[in-house]
Amino acid sequence: MAQSVKPISSPVPEPWYPTLAVLMLAVGLIVTASFFIYEATSSKKNRSLAKELTTGAVASVFLGFGSLFLLLASGVYV
Amino acid sequence: MRAIGGGGCNRVLLSILFAVSFSVLSAAPVFSDLVISKLDRRVDLTSQNVRSFTALKVENTGVDSVSEILLPFPDHQAKNLAFFIATIVEEKGKSKTYSNSLPINVVNPEGMPPSLIWYSVSLPKELGKGERLSLEIRAVFTHTLRPFPEKITQADIQLVVFQDSAYYLSPYTVKAQSLTVKLPEPKVESYTKLENTKLSGSEIKYGPYENLSPFSYTPIVVHFVSNGPFAVAKELVREIEISHWGNVQITEHYSIIHAGAQSVGEFSRLDYQARPHLRGASAVSHLTAKLPPRAHSVYYRDEIGNISTSNLWSDSTKTLLEIEPRYPMFGGWKTSFTIGYGLPLHDFLFQSEGRRFLNISFGSPINELVIDNLTVKVVLPEGSKDITVSIPFPVKQWQELKFSHLDMVGRPVVVLEKTNVAPEHNQYFQVHYRFSNLSLFQEPLMLISGFFFFFIACIIYMHADLTISKTSASYVAKLQWDEVQTAIQQFQSIMNRCLAIHDKLEASLRDLSRTGDAQACKAARKAADSSLKELSRELKPLLAFLQSSPQAAQILHKVDELVVKEKELQEKLMLKHTTVVDAFEKKSGGRDTESRVATIQQKITALRQEVDDLLEVIDEI
Repeated sequence: MAQSVKPISSPVPEPWYPTLAVLMLAVGLIVTASFFIYEATSSKKNRSLAKELTTGAVASVFLGFGSLFLLLASGVYV
Repeated sequence: MRAIGGGGCNRVLLSILFAVSFSVLSAAPVFSDLVISKLDRRVDLTSQNVRSFTALKVENTGVDSVSEILLPFPDHQAKNLAFFIATIVEEKGKSKTYSNSLPINVVNPEGMPPSLIWYSVSLPKELGKGERLSLEIRAVFTHTLRPFPEKITQADIQLVVFQDSAYYLSPYTVKAQSLTVKLPEPKVESYTKLENTKLSGSEIKYGPYENLSPFSYTPIVVHFVSNGPFAVAKELVREIEISHWGNVQITEHYSIIHAGAQSVGEFSRLDYQARPHLRGASAVSHLTAKLPPRAHSVYYRDEIGNISTSNLWSDSTKTLLEIEPRYPMFGGWKTSFTIGYGLPLHDFLFQSEGRRFLNISFGSPINELVIDNLTVKVVLPEGSKDITVSIPFPVKQWQELKFSHLDMVGRPVVVLEKTNVAPEHNQYFQVHYRFSNLSLFQEPLMLISGFFFFFIACIIYMHADLTISKTSASYVAKLQWDEVQTAIQQFQSIMNRCLAIHDKLEASLRDLSRTGDAQACKAARKAADSSLKELSRELKPLLAFLQSSPQAAQILHKVDELVVKEKELQEKLMLKHTTVVDAFEKKSGGRDTESRVATIQQKITALRQEVDDLLEVIDEI
């Protein structure tokens, strides 16, 4: 049994958290910006729901992971 | 001794009572034929905890084999007994090997006075006739040293009284025994002098005494100076929170009292600051916590906020945190505070046979702290199942739920509760549980879905028509303007596609001059012709709509101009294409052709510029 005991560590190395947070939040905010630009500039008839949903989904994935890493980097271990 | 007065009298009376009851006992039947051939007892009084270490050699002189050894304690000692282990020592030459600690149970032999509490040590194998055994017993008593006098001023030193028996209280005959009492300082107010008593430095030695019958008891009293910290945590709640994202967060809430001699009179901060060793010798000025190595994010605060009087040192084996309470603590004074720190996950969490376990120490990291009520809460991550605890001493345990950051169903909490905890209880314990790695992604998924719902809400808002009056003039105008906008955007996209086709044609010409493949160039021309035709067909209804719409009037002339310019551009481009391809096929590429192409090219460039400008103008509307 003794040899099968192995320490568990985080799936992502902890020193990466701040970098990951900044990168993913930056990408997320850029995609969010493009989402809102599209919403504001395209007219109602030309707007495609699929494009809106994909942009929103991509933005939320980046913002979600970005904010998770921001929490972890700032010491709020969820 | 005179100074002890009333309290001392009581104790003496009590001791006489004991002596009487034991002399009665000595007539009682002998428990077994065990004989303690040699017994060495050391009592360490250097801190507020009384640590007794007893090495004894047991011999079975009877016929029957024996499987347990009885160790009685007077009840006033037993109620303060915090920690108690017995191990068998095997001596081979000079090296000693220790067995695991033996199981100890409280037993109640019949016909014994209730003032004795009996502990029975079960031997791993029976002790046969004539066999010998070496045993070591460690016991820690808390709240045993009694301050005397009970009230002192700031300038006084603290004196305490320790009481015990000079002879080891045993139901067996003891052939030879001795007792050594170790004091913190070589300052003794008084001590009971028996035969063979010797005081040397900070040690008092009683014995050796030989051939004592069972239940021999001679009280001794030692009255000495002890200024060590008498810090007692009335209540300590330790919360150990595991995050699989790489951290074990520990938060400890202390409420500490100085359990030494009560402080009377006024407290002078000035005197204390000027001469802390004379005017505050008995005070607890600081506490030292030995945290595990690589502890990070350490904080020390109370209800008011951060307490800045702390120091932190760290090396590869430990992290030392020295904290100073907001005021020096004199006898009877209380304080409460919280310390917290984070530890790296891989030092404490392990995987074995598909289960995970936390391996962490139980007690407080603070040196020489007695804890009256210790509650350890292990907060496991959400989704942990099949939780078991293995701990080397008995504790009360149950489970709770805790809601923390990003929780849906709550985190399972294992609560362990123990009273009367000595520093010796600072042992490792394990919490085993099952956890799936997929549960780790529950938190990011929650964040992602939160953001996604926000985007969905935005989409719904943009698509919803929230106008109340659907017939008002402004609403109708807005609807029409929307339609015009839609048409213009479609018009723009068609124009852009036309321009893209133009670029493609130019590219095919460049390819021609590079590769000389006229067929490919012609094919490109054909494709461009057909797509341009299609685009012009698409353009027609849009233009018709824009012409009919009154709202588009202001922009219409720009649109028309753009259409005309684009046609012109298209024609020139086709002309250039035809000229170049013809010239290539006839191999007539002379100066004549070149100049013609150059003039066309000039026009094309000018037209292209105009078209781009117009597109920009329309875009701005």
